[in-house]
Parts: sequence; structure tokens; C-alpha cells
Amino acid sequence: MANRMERSNTDISAGGISRRLFLKGTAAGAVGSIALGGRSVIAYADAQTINIVSDGDTNVTDWWTNTLKPQFEAANPGYSLNIVITRADGGNDVVAERVVAAKKTDTDPKVDYFEEFDPRRVPGSAESGAFMALDESKIPNLALTSKAGRETPYIIPYRGSQVLLAYDSAKVPNVPKTWPDLVAWIKANPGQFIYGRPDKGGSGKNFVVRAIHEANGRDPSLFRVDNFNADDAKKRLAPAWAILNDLQPSLYDKGAYPAGNNPTLQLYASGTVAMVSAWSDMALQGISQGVLPPTTKLVQLTDLGFCGGYAWSSIPSMTSKTDGVYKLADFMLTPEIQTRMIADFGAFPGIEWKHLPPDLEAKYKDVIADSVPSFPDGGDWTAALNDGWYSNVATTLARG
Amino acid sequence: MTAVALSDVSPRGARQRRRALARAALLVAPALTLVIVLIVVPAVLSMGGTFFSEGRFSLVNYREFFGSPLSVQNLWFTIGVTLVSLVLLLGIGLAIALYLRFSHSRLVAAIQILALFPLFVPSIVASFALIRFLGPGGWVPTLLRAVGVTAYQTPYLHASGAVIGLVWQELPMIVLMLMAGLAQVSNRAIEAARDCGAGSATVFVHIIFPTILRSVVVACCIGFLDIIGSFTVPYILGPAAPQMMSIYMQRSFSELHRAATAETQAAVTFAVCVVVGAIYTACVFRDSVDNAELAQ
Repeated sequence: MANRMERSNTDISAGGISRRLFLKGTAAGAVGSIALGGRSVIAYADAQTINIVSDGDTNVTDWWTNTLKPQFEAANPGYSLNIVITRADGGNDVVAERVVAAKKTDTDPKVDYFEEFDPRRVPGSAESGAFMALDESKIPNLALTSKAGRETPYIIPYRGSQVLLAYDSAKVPNVPKTWPDLVAWIKANPGQFIYGRPDKGGSGKNFVVRAIHEANGRDPSLFRVDNFNADDAKKRLAPAWAILNDLQPSLYDKGAYPAGNNPTLQLYASGTVAMVSAWSDMALQGISQGVLPPTTKLVQLTDLGFCGGYAWSSIPSMTSKTDGVYKLADFMLTPEIQTRMIADFGAFPGIEWKHLPPDLEAKYKDVIADSVPSFPDGGDWTAALNDGWYSNVATTLARG
Repeated sequence: MTAVALSDVSPRGARQRRRALARAALLVAPALTLVIVLIVVPAVLSMGGTFFSEGRFSLVNYREFFGSPLSVQNLWFTIGVTLVSLVLLLGIGLAIALYLRFSHSRLVAAIQILALFPLFVPSIVASFALIRFLGPGGWVPTLLRAVGVTAYQTPYLHASGAVIGLVWQELPMIVLMLMAGLAQVSNRAIEAARDCGAGSATVFVHIIFPTILRSVVVACCIGFLDIIGSFTVPYILGPAAPQMMSIYMQRSFSELHRAATAETQAAVTFAVCVVVGAIYTACVFRDSVDNAELAQ
């Protein structure tokens, strides 16, 4: 669930750099550099530099550079973070391939920490031993994370997000909470709902995925990375296209699908539609910044939630700075930093809610789902979904 | 200079000509090498690859492309959007360029700045600005509503949205090229025609247009190639389907992981561009030959 394009919080529109965050970050940065100026040059040279690669969107990399870096360095003297931005869809995949190659030739990959990379994205990388298997003995705070987030020993679930419905409570007094209710609402309020193109952002994709789940007995386990088969896919997806085609005439502008997460939210923010599917973090950030109407509320479907997932950090096994990277991973999972992350960019926590302040949980209770379903990211299922949607739903050709 | 040498047939002339050619070759060599290594070779390899399937020569990629109504529709849509944008650009561009060339109004400087402004606006900024301007809840519908017009159909997420965005983006370039052409129009010729009683239309048809015809053709060719290859504006402002070829290629390549399909789409698009490129080259080539003749 870590396709950058899809879960990017700002995607192509790149409009989401939080000014508040930016100002805060600059202030923090300024304090940081004054502190640095005061240190002796020798001490600075002695600092162990941890090289981090991140292909997350601007809100994530800004936060790492301007908020996390000064905090971590202040809390852990002697360590310095070098955050390298590899942004582009799948930028870290390329770096990971280099790490796997470095493992084979036994050389230093010069990368110590992946802000977001799941070794499953590069087949064979975990088996090659290029990534470190992690446990509580190395990173004590891993004990605070939920079991659901630790699908393999190589990954650290450090933040998450989920697609949900964002709606204007002034226009929608009785918000639908199940898929059939949602369909009924969309049809009863033509032109008031829209989702984005599935290949341009996860908010649109996971709406389509929810239709696929609906058409297949609400059973997400039918769709796994390893069970793709073209004929089977055709059979399973066809009824979803029927559901979505049935909705199309009742959508905004009879199915004018915006090109991404932000353009979809923009249609909502301008008051053109009353409800959209959106990423939780983008919607929360939009509300806190006042970009979305103050009457905006978020809701998750109760019969089966929209998909979501974690951003997983991982650590190359060849790093020579094991102590530093363990400290960093542990620091990321402290309740303080997790709280900060939720407040700053609306991420869901990587650790369980019970370890966080209770008022925080109360604030987000409407958007916390009991389970977070997932759909194979990238790969054949997603390709079949995109291709099928374009040739069966969006098309203006006669449908066969 | 070289033109003089080229037409000389005496032995001394031949030597001079060879030297001039060698000098010319030396001058273009770095750029030419770069183009060959970085563009021509990869393009030829990629294009060549589309004619093979499983190691054997086959037209299966093209059969697949032209057999799919979706691909064909996208291709026609791309050509359609490009041509419509071009016609609009030419109309608006010509009007602005003529005004800038012949008006003595004090507004000229302001209009020129306005016409060239899009040159300095990145397409992504322009696209989002146009959403705010023309999109639902934007300025235009709000103003129209204020005066009682409610039948506004937003161009956002329709083909017209892509066309408007592309026209806005390309306008400065077209205006600049047409103005370059108009600079060659002799004031004396126009005054002479006027003295003989020619009206504005006659002056335009018989004096101005023939002079700037080449600029118009060049502007059309460059505009065509620019628009057909555009991505951001149609991506954000255009409809989900049909798609411009550039977006379709990107989707085939990075979302569906079908490199051969994307390459075939690129090759077909390239074939369309080659026609326009040939017109452009012929035009520029004739231009330089004419200049060479003039130089004698």
C-alpha cells in the first residue's frame, strides 16, 4: 500500500505544502541552525550522519527536514540526519535496487534508512538479505505498533492513512454509512458526488476498489499480490464496472472525473459537490488549514471500510550505523513524535491508538476504522483495475 | 559567405568549398553527435522494437493499436484537440500580432506584456489557475450568475478545457513568431497600396499575408508539435476519456507496465509528427536556400 503516486498527499498538483507547517519548519530550522552555529566544527564533523531516502510527497519530506530532523538531532547529540529526497513515483524502488546490488557485491550502499519502502516492492530484496529483520530487541517501541501493521519482519509501520468520505455536514444531514446507502444517496443527489481517476490518486482508486469489494462479497482477501489471473480478474471486475456505470449519470457533470487527489478535493472545497472520497491525511490537513469548509466532516463506511495502509520504513542490512538507525526508528515510534505527526499532517499513527493521548483518539473516532482493508498495490491487480476502468467506465465509446 | 563559395565551380572555388564544408561540419559536429547519441539512436531502437514480437518481425503491436477502438479514439482526439487549438491560436495570435505591429496606441506595451505573460507561467500553475477561473465555482460562473446567466457549462474536465489551456499556454510563442514575420512587412509597400486605394482587407490579403505566410506555416508546425506533445494541461484540465496520446502513453507505460504498447503509441504519434516536421523542414530549408540566393 505504498504507491507514492497513490498515497501522495499532494500528488501532481503539489499544492499542498502547508504554509503553517512551512513557517513552523522554517522557524525550527532557524533555531536548529543557530544551535549548529554554536557547536564546534570538530563536534559537527564527528557527528554520525544517517542517510535517509524519502520519495514521499512535499508534506512528508518537509516535515522530516524541518520538524523531525532538528528534534531528533537535539534529542540525540552526535547524530545528524541527511534527508535525501528521491521524489518521483517509486523513487525509492530504484534506490532499493541499488541497495540489493550493493549487498551482492558487499559494498556500502550509502543509504542507512528508507523513510518509506516495503522490500516486497522489489522482489527478492528481502530474501537477498539486503534488509534487516527487525524486532523489539533492536527497536523497543516496535512493541507499541499494531500486529496488523507488521506484515513482515523487515518493515516498520510508522504512519498510515485511509480513504474515507469527506462531506459537507451543512448539505448532508444524514450521511450514508454503508455502501448501499452511499449508492442511494448518490442517486438521490445527482451531481453532488465525485471520485478521482483511479490511476491518478488513491482516493479515486480506493473508491473503485470498494466497488470491486462490493461486487465480490466484500471480501478483500480475494485480491492478493500472488493470486492474479487474467480470466479470473475479468470475471471479478466486470460486476464492479456495472456498479460504477450505474452511478455515472448521477455523478458530478455526469462523470467528469478529476485528475488526482487534490483536484477532487478542490471540487469539494469550491462547493461544487457535497461529498468526495479522500485520503484521511489530506482531508484532516485541509480542515486544519481551513482549505476545506469548516462544516466538513469525515466518515468511514461501516460495512467495509475503504482501503488504506501504512507507510513502512525499512533499514538496509549493510548500514554501518546500526545504533543510529535503531535510535531513529525508535524515536519515530515514540508517542510524542506520533502525536506530532498526527497534528502536523494528519497522518494516522503507526503505533496503536491506546498508546496515544485519549483526547486525540476521541477527536478522530469517526475516522478510525476497526480494520483497514487493502488491495494489492502496483502489480497486476492494479493494472487490471486501471485498464478496466478506462475501457469500461470512463470511456465515451459504446460499451461492449 | 559559404553560399558564395558553393556556387563557384573553379578549382580554387572547389578547394574553398571543401574548406567551408569542413568548417561547417566541425561547427555542427558537437550538437549533431549529441542529438544522434541521445535522441536518434534510442528513438530508432525503440521504434524498431515495435516491429518485433517475441524476437520475430511482426506487426502485432500495430494490429493491437489500430484494432483497439480506445487507442484509435485517443489518437483522433489528440489530433482533433491539436488542430482546434491551432486554429484558435492562429486566429487570436494573428489578431494580437497585427495589432502590436500596426497600432500606435499607448496600450501596445501593455497588450504585449499580457500576450507574452503565459511564457513565464509554468503549465501546472496555469492549469490550476484556469480551474479557479473557469471551473465550477470559479470567477467566470460566479460573475455570470451575478448577471443572471445560469446555463454555464464549465469546460473543466472536458475537451474544451484542454483546448483553452493549450491556447493560453502556446499563445506567446505564436505571437512572437508572427511578429517576427510581420517585422518583414514593408511599410512602404503598405503605404503604396493604400495610395492606390486598397482597403485594409486588400492590404492584408495581397501584401501582409504573402509576406508572413512562411512565418505562419512555421508557427503552425511548431505549435502543432508543442501541443501534440503536451501533457500537464490536458492531464489536469481535460476529460478522463478520451485522452491525449501523451497521457495515454504514460498510463500504458507506468500504470499498466506495457512498454511495447506505450512504444507503439509513441511511434504512431511520432508518425503524425513526422508529417508536420517534414513541412517545417521543407519550409525552413527553402527559406535558407532563398536567403542563399539573395546573398549572391
